[in-house]
Amino acid sequence: MKNLHFRYAMRISFDSPVTNHRFTVKCIPQTDERQIIENLVVSVFPNQSLSQDRDSFGNRCIFGHCEMEHQKFEIVVEGDARTGRSPCETGDASHMLGLYRYQSFYTIPGEKINAYFEKFSFSENMNDYEKGVFMMHRLYEDFRYVQGITNIQTTAEEAMELGCGVCQDYSHILISLCHLAGIPARYVVGMLTGEGASHAWVEIYQDEKWYALDPTNNLIVDDQHIKISHGRDYRDCLINQGVFTGCAKQTQEIQVVVEEN
Amino acid sequence: MGIISLEQTDGLYWLGRYSERVYTTIRLYSRSYDRMLDENAGGYEEFCRDLDIPNIYQSSEDFKTRYPFDKEDPNSIMSNLLRAYDNAIVLRETIGSETLSYIQLAIYEMNKAEKSQAPLIEMQKVMDNILAFWGIADDIMEDENSRNIIKVGKRVERIDLYGRLHQPRENLVREVSRLAGRIGRCNIHYNESVILNLLELVQAPELDYYSIVYEIERIL
Amino acid sequence: MYDLDLFEHTDTVNELLARYGVKFGVYKNNVFKEQLFPFDAIPRVIEKQEFDWLERGLKQRVVALNLFLKDIYGEKKIIRDKVVPEEFVYASSGYLAQCEGVRPVKDIYSHISGIDLVQGKNKEWYVLEDNLRVPSGASYPMIARELCRRSSPRTFQNYKLEDNRNYADLLRRTMDNVNVGGHTVILTPGRYNAAYFEHSYLAERTGVHLVNGRELTVEDDKLYFVDYSGKKERVGAVYRRISDEYLDPMNFNPESVIGIPHIYDIYRKGNVALLNAPGNGIADDKGIYYFVPKMVKYYLGEEPILQNAPTYLPFYEEDMRYVLEHFDSLVLKDVAEAGGYGVVFGSSMTAKQKEDFIALLKKEPRRFIAQEVIDFLDIDIMEKGEMVPRKADLRAFVLMADEPLVWKSGLTRFSRNPDSFIVNSSQGGGFKDTWVLSR
Repeated sequence: MKNLHFRYAMRISFDSPVTNHRFTVKCIPQTDERQIIENLVVSVFPNQSLSQDRDSFGNRCIFGHCEMEHQKFEIVVEGDARTGRSPCETGDASHMLGLYRYQSFYTIPGEKINAYFEKFSFSENMNDYEKGVFMMHRLYEDFRYVQGITNIQTTAEEAMELGCGVCQDYSHILISLCHLAGIPARYVVGMLTGEGASHAWVEIYQDEKWYALDPTNNLIVDDQHIKISHGRDYRDCLINQGVFTGCAKQTQEIQVVVEEN
Repeated sequence: MGIISLEQTDGLYWLGRYSERVYTTIRLYSRSYDRMLDENAGGYEEFCRDLDIPNIYQSSEDFKTRYPFDKEDPNSIMSNLLRAYDNAIVLRETIGSETLSYIQLAIYEMNKAEKSQAPLIEMQKVMDNILAFWGIADDIMEDENSRNIIKVGKRVERIDLYGRLHQPRENLVREVSRLAGRIGRCNIHYNESVILNLLELVQAPELDYYSIVYEIERIL
Repeated sequence: MYDLDLFEHTDTVNELLARYGVKFGVYKNNVFKEQLFPFDAIPRVIEKQEFDWLERGLKQRVVALNLFLKDIYGEKKIIRDKVVPEEFVYASSGYLAQCEGVRPVKDIYSHISGIDLVQGKNKEWYVLEDNLRVPSGASYPMIARELCRRSSPRTFQNYKLEDNRNYADLLRRTMDNVNVGGHTVILTPGRYNAAYFEHSYLAERTGVHLVNGRELTVEDDKLYFVDYSGKKERVGAVYRRISDEYLDPMNFNPESVIGIPHIYDIYRKGNVALLNAPGNGIADDKGIYYFVPKMVKYYLGEEPILQNAPTYLPFYEEDMRYVLEHFDSLVLKDVAEAGGYGVVFGSSMTAKQKEDFIALLKKEPRRFIAQEVIDFLDIDIMEKGEMVPRKADLRAFVLMADEPLVWKSGLTRFSRNPDSFIVNSSQGGGFKDTWVLSR
């Protein structure tokens, strides 16, 4: 168990003014069985018109719009998290989970992933959780962490073909493999202790419980991760989305700091 | 529901303008067409100059078919009629199917005119349909505001054309005063100084047609 | 049998339809063209008693489909109880995860349903397809009736029919039933949509505004119509004629420029009604179709009144065997396709095509359904002054207002080509009025 302080800051700069900007952000961690979130402060700019809700996956969203000209969009989420309170999270009954049992846009396997999966041999007494961990270990050995080769549009199959990628790619491939093995699995976005960007990992389902695996670091999630959102894949967990009027070039900066209190 | 959007207001206004443009240019064309039966060449240059449209025609014959019917020529009567239709088609629930049908019928007649040996006969029907369109718009459209916007478009276009064609003073005085009386009765944003300037311009001892056209073009 | 006076007026009615711009749009080589929808004056006539029976069956089916949608995006009992295999739900493009747990106003999902039926030579009716997203077509018989009455008053003096021009009232009642406060509008993707005539005609007849996405805006968790001066009027119900995908770039296709950002978010909060509900595509999926009679039993505990065309799911081994053994007598449909596409007849394939198709079928059994070819009861049309038989279907409309309402008419479409079974208007067919006798 850890007591962490986190600060998630995202800033988008537009090189010329934009108007009629509408946005949705999903970057607010919530209290669940694994983590308790306290002292939460969320600030959004522009903030003339904001509202919030939970999306159909249960993630917290902030919606807003700004008619006036502006050149900056900023969100800062700061607070404390007590993590590692439980090894897993209670899930719905199995018949509710079809949503997480089938491939989605980013995870659809092609030749490479199918071939990779076929080489696995699970021992008979392995349960879904153990199969997931087994596949994570194998993936960690066979896939290299390299930044700048893949991008946010890269699918699991494309990343598999490249043989390297970042946390998003590790997670999509592991989800794809889990689905091939008939294991419900979902994509998680969150923060990791240290400094940097947001992180992605995977939750897999066993006996009505969700267990979190971090394939990029080859570890079972304990108390170093703060979860923000989950969904089928990257698309369901977009941290920010927006539409606006204007033909501005945007530059995004993200700064995440998580440290022990 | 009694309220109309900016796009609908715009559509009504341009429907008024294009329907008027088609109606008046058919009348002008009919006169030129008649003249060209006797004279072998020319006549259309003046027509283009008066209307301030580019003279892209090779001969009288070329003008006689392309000016009314060429869909590729943005200044042709057909192009203007199709623009009236484009504005009308998105206004069915505002102007009513019955009203809209007369613009549709005008297009069918114009298509027939194109194939006819005596196109003025069918073009007369195009004018009949436009007159019926105006009549029925006035008669059955419940919303007074929408009715008035169409009329404003029609008057603006007429003043514009009369100015270009150097029409006699009494015609301009009549149209400007009709517009001045109408424009305040609908919810359209317009440039009030234009009305005042126009009222003055049509009374000036020497008519300055150029200024009249300049003013009317900046009314909205 | 019937008065011939009207039949002689096919041309008159078609001329009137042209006058009122009764058209549908098609894209040919990326160019938009408006086409007239050819009308045949010989109506499809349905006796009162027969229609009463159809009406009961249609209501039952649509009520069950609504319960299915509520269940799939809610408790999923039908999956738990293994009545519908979950792969048919989650592998379908019609299932939208964004709809999980979202409850539409009054739990109505399919406000306007178009149920496609055919009648066999044995006089039996079969449901071919359910359309629960944005079914179109009601406006055509509605205006055709008006014009037929004008063209042949004598015919309508002699026959006592249900007046189908009340569709607008039924629709208005359906929209008002779920309106959460404010205006009702019809949202169109624009005049270059195939069904634009219908959008504008229904707006005129129901007395509501026809709007495009630019005219609506979300503010303070509510939907507003913006008038010419920038003044905002609340909108409480949107009969949207744009597909789920384009409805809201923040929740569906981010590239959509015809949608309204955040409209889905306020819908989720119950601050606006959307007709039909997003996500309905899962219930009119061709694979799910097979299970509709089972849904009727499951949710209502009743025997289904209307039957499906005999259908096989190659997904089930037993059905796969049947399909392979009777391949030549079946029609095969790709569940992902619509509008008459992706439909092939086993009998019309070459040996090579058959071989390839069977290989594909074995590889992706869930992707196809197979149906017995129904021996249609042909309907006569007038062609060059003569009556000739053609294949025809019937799209019946069921509206879910404070109670289910069946429109006492329907769109009868016929194939132009005498050998064709495909009656879809985008593939060049015509239409007829559908008469329901009132006694």
